[in-house]
Amino acid sequence: MAIAVGVIAGLCVLPPFLSSSWLLIMFLSFVWLVMTANYDVLDGFLGYINLGQGAFFGLGAYVATILINVPAIQKLGRLTLIVTTVSALLVAALFAAVMAVPLFRLKGLYFAIGTLILIFLLQVLALNLGPLTGGSYGLYVPPVFFMSTFVGYYLALVLAIVSVALNFYLSRSALGLAFRCIKADDAAAGSIGLNLLKYQTMALVISSLPTAAAGVLFALNSGFIDPTIALGVERSLLPPLMAILGGAGTVLGPVFGTAIVRIIETVFFHYLRLPIPSMLFFGITLLAVALCIPEGLLKSPRVRRLALFRALAS
Amino acid sequence: MARALELVVSGVALGGIYALLAFALSLTISTTRILNVAHGVFFVWGGAFFVLFSQHLKLHPALAILILTACFFAFALVFQWGIVRPLLGRSVHLLLIGSIMATFGLGLSMESALGYAWVTYVDPYPVFTSSLAMFPVALGGVALSGSRLVILGFVLVMVTGFHLFLQKTFLGKGARAMAQNFDGFLVIGLNPYRLSRILFTLAIMATAISGAFYVLAVPLNPYEGLPLTLKGFTVVILAGVGNLPATLVAGAVLGLAEVATSQFLGSIWAPAVSLAILFLVLVVKPTGFFGKGVY
Repeated sequence: MAIAVGVIAGLCVLPPFLSSSWLLIMFLSFVWLVMTANYDVLDGFLGYINLGQGAFFGLGAYVATILINVPAIQKLGRLTLIVTTVSALLVAALFAAVMAVPLFRLKGLYFAIGTLILIFLLQVLALNLGPLTGGSYGLYVPPVFFMSTFVGYYLALVLAIVSVALNFYLSRSALGLAFRCIKADDAAAGSIGLNLLKYQTMALVISSLPTAAAGVLFALNSGFIDPTIALGVERSLLPPLMAILGGAGTVLGPVFGTAIVRIIETVFFHYLRLPIPSMLFFGITLLAVALCIPEGLLKSPRVRRLALFRALAS
Repeated sequence: MARALELVVSGVALGGIYALLAFALSLTISTTRILNVAHGVFFVWGGAFFVLFSQHLKLHPALAILILTACFFAFALVFQWGIVRPLLGRSVHLLLIGSIMATFGLGLSMESALGYAWVTYVDPYPVFTSSLAMFPVALGGVALSGSRLVILGFVLVMVTGFHLFLQKTFLGKGARAMAQNFDGFLVIGLNPYRLSRILFTLAIMATAISGAFYVLAVPLNPYEGLPLTLKGFTVVILAGVGNLPATLVAGAVLGLAEVATSQFLGSIWAPAVSLAILFLVLVVKPTGFFGKGVY
C-alpha cells in the first residue's frame, strides 16, 4: 500500500520535469493502462475474452469529437466539455448494455470473435457515414477546446488510478466475488441464484465507461481522429496482450504489463530507431508472451517467490 | 434478367473464393481447437510466393506450385512444433487466449516482414497479381473470367479431397474423433501431437496453394491477411465449424450477399456485409445454419 501511494505521489510531481515528448508518452501510457485494466474486468474477473475494448475507446472519441463540432453545444461555454464527455460516456454505456444481451449468449471462442467484430463494424460505419464522421478524412477538434498534454496527463492519471482501484474493489467485494463465481462455473453460479445476464451486463458497462473516457481524453488531446487512429485493431488487441503479460485477474498485473510493453515500445521506436517495421517486432513480442508466459508475470511461480512481489502483495 | 443472371454468377464465383479461404480454417479449428488468426496471412504468403516464383523468377506455374508446397510443408512443421505443440497441453481458456495471441503475433510479424521485404527487394509497388488465367469465358450469354472458373474447379477438388480424407481414411477417422471429443480421444490412447502435425501440415499446404489460385483472379496486397481471416471466420461459422461441404454453400451465400449489397447500396457497404452476417449468425445460431457438421 505504501509503495502504491509513493508511486502515485511520484507521478503527480513528475510533469514539470518532463519534456513535452515524454509527457505525451506518459499520457498515452495512462490511456493504455485504463484500457488494459478495463479489459481485465472481463477477462480476469468474469472469464470472457473481450476483443472489443477498442470499440468503446473509438466510440467515446468519435461521439465527443462529433458533439464538440456542433455549434449549439459550442455556445454552452464552460459546460461544453462536460456535456460532450457525459454524452460520450452515456453512448458508450448504452452501446455496452445493448450489446451485452446478444454477446453474452456466446462463450469462449465465439464471444472473442463476436466482440472482435464490433471494432470492424464501427470502423466501416465511421468510414461510410461521411457527413457525420468525416469518413477517411477524419474529424478535427476546434482549437478552443484543445486540451494540453499537461492537463491531459493529470486527467489520464486520475482515470488510470480509478480503473485500477475499480479492479482492486472487484478483487475484494461481493460484486467481484459474483464475477469470479461466474468465471469458475456459470451453470453453478446461475443455479445458486445469481442473475447471470445482470452481472455480465454490469461487467461490460463497468469496463466500457473508463475506456470511453480515455477515448475522449485522447481525442481532445490529439485534436484529430480518423478510423485508423481511434478505431485501429491494435486498440482492441493490445489491452489483452498487456493484461496477460502482467497477469489477468491480479490487480497489479495490467499495470506491470502496460509498463513493460510501453517501455519496450518507447526504447525501440523512439531511441534505437531500428530499420525494421515496428509491427514485426510487435508481433514477435506477442508470440513470445503467448508461448512463454501463458499465465502472466504476476501469476508465475518464479515471480511470486521474489521478495519484491511479497512486499507489493502485502 | 441477363443482369440478374450475371450478378448470380459473379456472386457464386466470389463464393467459391470465400470457400477456398474457409475450409482449411474450418478443419483446424474443429479438430485441434486452435484458432489460427494468421490463416489469412499464410494465404497471402502463398499468393506472394507464387507470384515471386512464376513471374519474377519466370518458373513454370506447375513448378512454382510444387516449390511453394515444399516451402510450406517445411513451414508447417516448424509452425506445429513451435506454436501448436506448446499450446495443445493447456486448459481450454488458456488454449484459446494463447492461440489467439500467438497466431495474431505471428500473423502481424509475417505480414509486416512480407510487406517490408517485398517493397525493399522485389517491387516497390506491393500488389500480388498474376496474368496467367485472364481468358474470358462466355457462359450462356454471361461473360466470366476464366480464372474464376479455375478457382471454382480447384475448390471443388479440394473440398472433395478433404471430405474423402476425413470419411474414408484411418487418419481422417482419428481427426473426426478428435473433433467430437478431445478428452475421449486422449483416453483411448491416441496421440494428439502427431495428428495435429498431420492436419496442420495438410491445412497449411492447402492454404498456400489456395492463395496461389486466389491471385489468379483477385490481386492481393501484403496487409490483407487479417481481414481475410475474418472473412474466413464468417464462412466457417455460417457453415458450422467443421462442416466442410457446407462451407461451399456458405461461401456462395456470402458472395451473393456481397454482390447484392454492392449492387443496391453501393460498394462501400460490401465490407460491412460479412461482418453483419457474422454477427447475426453468432447471435441467432452460433452452431451455424447447416447442422452440426460432418464429424
